Amino acid sequence: MPSKISIRIDGELVHARLGQTILEVAAENNKPIPSLCSMKGLRPVGACRLCLVQVEGLGRMLPACTTPVQDGMSVTTDNAKLRGYRQMIIELLLAERNHVCAVCVANGHCELQTAAAKLGVMNTRYAYRYPNHKVDLSHSRFTLDHNRCILCSRCVRACAEVEGAHVWEIGGRGIGSLLVCELNRTWGESKHCTACGKCVQSCPTGALAEKGFAVEEMTKKPEPVSRIAAFREVRP
Amino acid sequence: MRIADLSSFNEARERGLAKLLPSHPRVTVGMGTCGTGNGAEAVYQAFSDQFDQRGFSVKLARTGCFGFCAEEPLVNVWLPGKPVVILHRVQASDAAAIVDDLAASRVPAELALCKVEEWDHITGHIKYGSGYPDIPDWSQVPFFKGQKKIVLRHCGLINPDDIEEALAVGTYSALYKVLIDANPDAVIEAIKAAKLRGRGGAGYQTGIKWEFLRKAKAEKKYIICNADEGDPGAYMNRNEIESDPHSLLEGMIIGGYVTGCQEGIVYVRAEYPLAVHRLQEAVEQATEYGLLGQNILGRGFNFHIRLVEGAGAFVCGEETALIRSLEGKAGRPTPRPPYPAQSGLYGYPTNINNVETWYNIAPIVIKGPAWFTETGSPKSPGTKVFSLVGKVVSTGLVEMPLGTPLKNFVYDVGGGAPGGRTVKSVQTGGPSGGCIPQEMFDVAVDYESLAQLGSIMGSGGMVVMDEDNCMVDVARYFVEFTHSESCGKCIPCRSGLDQALRMLNAVTHGKATEKELVLLDELSRMIRDCSLCGLGQTAPNPVLTTMRHFRHEFEDHIRARRCRAGVCEDLALSPCENSCPLHMNIPRFLELVKEDRLEEAFMSVVLDNPLPASTGRVCQHPCDNRCRRAGIDEAVNMRDVHRYIADSIYGSDRYEAIAAQVVANKKPPTGKRVAIVGAGPTGLACAWYCALFGHEVVIYDSNAQAGGMLRYAIPEYRLPKATLDWEIDLIRRMGVEFVFNCQVGKEISLNDLGAQYDAVFLAIGTWKENWVYLPGTELEGVIPALPFLEGVAKGHTLPLGRKVAVIGGGNAAIDSARTALRLGADVTIIYRRERKDMPAIAEETEAAEAEGAKIVFLATPHRIVGNAEGKVSAIEVAKTRLGEFDKSGRRRPITTDEIQRLACDTVILAVGEAVDIDFAKASGLKIKESGLIEVDRYSLETSRPNFYAGGDLISGASNVSNAMGYGKRAARYIDLRLTGVKRWKDLLPEFQISQTVPAHPSESPRHHAREVPAGQRCRSFTEAVVGLAPVEAMEESCRCLRCDIRNGD
Amino acid sequence: MTNGKVKVATVWLDGCSGCHMSFLDLDEMLLTIVEKATIVYGPLVDTQEFPEGVDVTLVEGAVANQDDLKLVQKIRQNTRVLVALGDCAVTSNVPSMRNWVPVKKLLERGYIENATETLQIPKDGVPALLRQAVPVGAVVQVDAHIPGCPPSAAAIGKALLDIAAGQPPKLAGMVKFG
Repeated sequence: MPSKISIRIDGELVHARLGQTILEVAAENNKPIPSLCSMKGLRPVGACRLCLVQVEGLGRMLPACTTPVQDGMSVTTDNAKLRGYRQMIIELLLAERNHVCAVCVANGHCELQTAAAKLGVMNTRYAYRYPNHKVDLSHSRFTLDHNRCILCSRCVRACAEVEGAHVWEIGGRGIGSLLVCELNRTWGESKHCTACGKCVQSCPTGALAEKGFAVEEMTKKPEPVSRIAAFREVRP
Repeated sequence: MRIADLSSFNEARERGLAKLLPSHPRVTVGMGTCGTGNGAEAVYQAFSDQFDQRGFSVKLARTGCFGFCAEEPLVNVWLPGKPVVILHRVQASDAAAIVDDLAASRVPAELALCKVEEWDHITGHIKYGSGYPDIPDWSQVPFFKGQKKIVLRHCGLINPDDIEEALAVGTYSALYKVLIDANPDAVIEAIKAAKLRGRGGAGYQTGIKWEFLRKAKAEKKYIICNADEGDPGAYMNRNEIESDPHSLLEGMIIGGYVTGCQEGIVYVRAEYPLAVHRLQEAVEQATEYGLLGQNILGRGFNFHIRLVEGAGAFVCGEETALIRSLEGKAGRPTPRPPYPAQSGLYGYPTNINNVETWYNIAPIVIKGPAWFTETGSPKSPGTKVFSLVGKVVSTGLVEMPLGTPLKNFVYDVGGGAPGGRTVKSVQTGGPSGGCIPQEMFDVAVDYESLAQLGSIMGSGGMVVMDEDNCMVDVARYFVEFTHSESCGKCIPCRSGLDQALRMLNAVTHGKATEKELVLLDELSRMIRDCSLCGLGQTAPNPVLTTMRHFRHEFEDHIRARRCRAGVCEDLALSPCENSCPLHMNIPRFLELVKEDRLEEAFMSVVLDNPLPASTGRVCQHPCDNRCRRAGIDEAVNMRDVHRYIADSIYGSDRYEAIAAQVVANKKPPTGKRVAIVGAGPTGLACAWYCALFGHEVVIYDSNAQAGGMLRYAIPEYRLPKATLDWEIDLIRRMGVEFVFNCQVGKEISLNDLGAQYDAVFLAIGTWKENWVYLPGTELEGVIPALPFLEGVAKGHTLPLGRKVAVIGGGNAAIDSARTALRLGADVTIIYRRERKDMPAIAEETEAAEAEGAKIVFLATPHRIVGNAEGKVSAIEVAKTRLGEFDKSGRRRPITTDEIQRLACDTVILAVGEAVDIDFAKASGLKIKESGLIEVDRYSLETSRPNFYAGGDLISGASNVSNAMGYGKRAARYIDLRLTGVKRWKDLLPEFQISQTVPAHPSESPRHHAREVPAGQRCRSFTEAVVGLAPVEAMEESCRCLRCDIRNGD
Repeated sequence: MTNGKVKVATVWLDGCSGCHMSFLDLDEMLLTIVEKATIVYGPLVDTQEFPEGVDVTLVEGAVANQDDLKLVQKIRQNTRVLVALGDCAVTSNVPSMRNWVPVKKLLERGYIENATETLQIPKDGVPALLRQAVPVGAVVQVDAHIPGCPPSAAAIGKALLDIAAGQPPKLAGMVKFG
């Protein structure tokens, strides 16, 4: 039986269970913390750093998605410093690839776009990099547009942890990191892809999409993926 | 060969001892990667051949490195009963002579660096013998002073490929003790009590980590040695493993035993082939001897060690990334928790320690924690090995107690910067660390103190930088490194470093704005605070520390578009141009001389510098120190070439025509009026350019003639007044008007000038002599230097005695001494530091000595003794000794009790000058605490609009070219303010010169200006230095390598 | 200011004019704005030279060619508050989708490979393309951003009223990229 503890989130005393993360407890208590790489049911990776929070008594900020709650913990989820850093992270993401929202299949349904609006990001202070990225249309049902990928690895984990197909991996390193299909094949040449679409539904942006959708038409449904994952998790 | 009990253990030790101290001579060659890179392989082969040929009975072996990289290859020679003698810079060709010596039971004294009579191996003690009184003990060599070798206890003395030699110096005895005591908790307690902290950089307590692992319950546990050393400039771990692999194994086996773990892994860089090889060999030997594997030392404990070669990703130094790499995955870090002690390699509890941490285990076990905490600082006991590299004389591996002040590393051990340069900063902790400026070299080198300055100790890299290093470029370099090594998982590091690198590149190219600096600062903080792992969290440190401690260098790049170090090529024409306070286009006038276009050369020179003949005689020539030709033989004699150019035109029949051509460059009148206060070099330079811009210029001066210090302080024999008059004439022709005998503050006020002129430039010199307060300064016969020189220049008769003592080491002191000599006196100069610390131009000091002046170094005036008539009769000086290094990087002279009396009847005080600032106070100009006028660093504008100041008024006493540099800069900004247009670039004409790098620059050595023989010149005021002959000037110009030419554009 | 009204200019660089359309969509809000502002320059008025002493300039479009660059620099010199209007001005948006193609190749593709008649790259009467189309903020200081493709009329109106009142525009919740 998970034992009950209480923690403070932005001053408010809330109940939590041992083993939960700060992100989970905050979400349960209607204090959503912005995040892009975390998705219910997938193992947290702490990569996007949007969910960083301050824990009283600790000098360093901690990612809410990987930090387990402890009894008596006092967490600050929003203040000027955190907000400033989150805005910078969004700005860095926008400058990193060619996120042209106006012509994106996921326009209006994109987590990056939503996070930018919620955090009040009006522009990017950094230089746009304008990298030359390819679009992979080789799969019969899906498309991969690297220009819109934020390397959150949700697709990688959905495929490996939920579907068990291990089609996706992040290749390269640093700013040259790229989502790769198997051993750098095109998606259409994939040996293991089951065309289940879990990666597409998990993708927070328009990087992975279904064919046949035009601008603004691609809505994502990650919840079923999370439900399958949860089902798998409770098995012994 | 298996050791199963104490007697077989001791037998192996004895066999090892017999190898270390054989009955015949032993010669070992230091063959770490560093030694091999310096030719040790050939040296070893030469010895081997010699011994084979002669059938000489000698034990020849390879050892690791003793640490003194600058002196490699190192060879140790030992004769029975005698100390080990360490020979340095040994070449293969030396082998025969060395063997001759050995055959005669001698050691080659001329190659000897030091000797080792006995050695504390910590885990053992060896007496090699005594003798050779003339060879210094190793501990007397400056490089080794203050070093304490705990980690490096065996390095360079034993053969790393021979386990018996390792046993002989006590390796594995700590392991044996631990196994016999069979009390793991006690060992962990000892490590905790010793407060041993991880040497990889983070500094977490090793004992506590071990306790976690011991308490973790799991079917399997792992111990990992992190040998993924990847910092540029750091090679401690490589050397430790290469020189003494067994001590690493011993530490790990002990760690395994006390934490209940049976498998150890060494994760070592594949780029360290020799370390990998020696460690593999050591593992095999240890297994063979029963020290590793099943049933170690017969005590029933099993432990295996395997090596895994990493592919060299810097991020794999991060423990979670290293674990992923070991698992065969991409080396990307994962968030902690879970910590490796809970869930590490393959999910099992794991402990990771740095190479150096493992080396500290056996000493603590043998000597106990109390012994360990005696060394180092209370919070950080023990020692740390640093690789001291960069701009120091002695580079190498240095093991010092933690808490040692940084300056001891740089100056005592490292010997300061080579070639008399000034050390500017030290970068500690590699790309994850920061730059510590010279003013803060008192900082103790330990985890906390360095962190306070924004740096880290890291794994022990220590890169020393001097004035030739651009700190912006340093930051850019390290960010480029971490940028390319970022794994790309988290956004702050992946994308943040990419943006930071873009901004830093923009700064080095002169394309950044101040807004970007603010952005860069914010971004760096975000990367530091938000990144997932240590790589990203520390990557901004070089940026943040350089922006904090070297802000002015960033501003120079952005506002003045200048890189003082001359590193950022887009911001400098050539090293000489960059170093010149006037930024003269030196390669251009050299090329024009070379192409035999003397008149154009004069035009080029005089438009860059309106006093070419004067500066050609008296400039401090900073260009000499930067000339790349010095890398081949000696710097090009640029100063004397431009003197030659000027001398050839002034007074020649071509002068009139050329002067007209020069004046023809003048821009149309602007109707703006500029007043300049002070007709010294600063004022003249400003006037020249303001006039060229077409403004109306009037110079006010309290003297009767123009030139300031050039006329009234610099003696005739250095700068004939007739020469100066030529230059003033040309300035007049440019349209500059002079108002003499008019002192601002008396005859005319600053407010009047402000009302009458559109801009006012203040350029008054340092005419107020500093006064030292020592007994006897009130006596008759004590004269300050400047009034003395001024009096002589004006032709006054001065009451100078026969025996003159000059106090000081600057140019005014030397000028006074040489002037006094010419007036027939016997002169002694008293200076409190050493010759190399003298601020005077070195050639001037040498000339003074040649003319008969005596110099007493390391002496400071104690009191001036008078006679009954109140006149000077002698001076008493106290000898000084050199103490600690001060802020200027020179040793501080400390007065001793040793007093010396020198008979004299005149004392000239040349201890510095100051500006008389009273006139400025009344007019509302802001004055700094230092007594200098506050100005904008770039535009030189004062707190009062349209009032500018330059030269000594803002910098304190300086030299002619610096002073003129200010004047030139002020003119540029005054014009910008008056016209609102950037006209500087269009002011000067273009010269078409060859843009081809000379395929064969002249091989001639440097031509020095000819001097009148000392005996002839020392009683006369005629010019002492004649200058270059035409053919010499031409030849000198042909020596230029043309660094101003860029390839590819 | 003229008669207590802020002088507003609008400019259309490399964009589709959608933002200006949205501006025209202000409907009855125009009546409020007209009391506070007067338009002195833009595609909607007949002034040839960009005037001096403008209070607010709304710039639509990315900076894509030499003319854009010169104009936007002049605007900056003559404007107190420069507002980037819409995604092209704020992020460079669609015009930037040619940025990873060298200009020469781009022109060849457009005017030669894909053209059917008069195969030639225009040289006279058209400004040279910049290497990349960039947001306005990349070349001059921008004081306020109104993202959106296009931004809603409400956001544009709110921004103008805020600026006229001497406040930085508060548009949280009213705008998004795309």
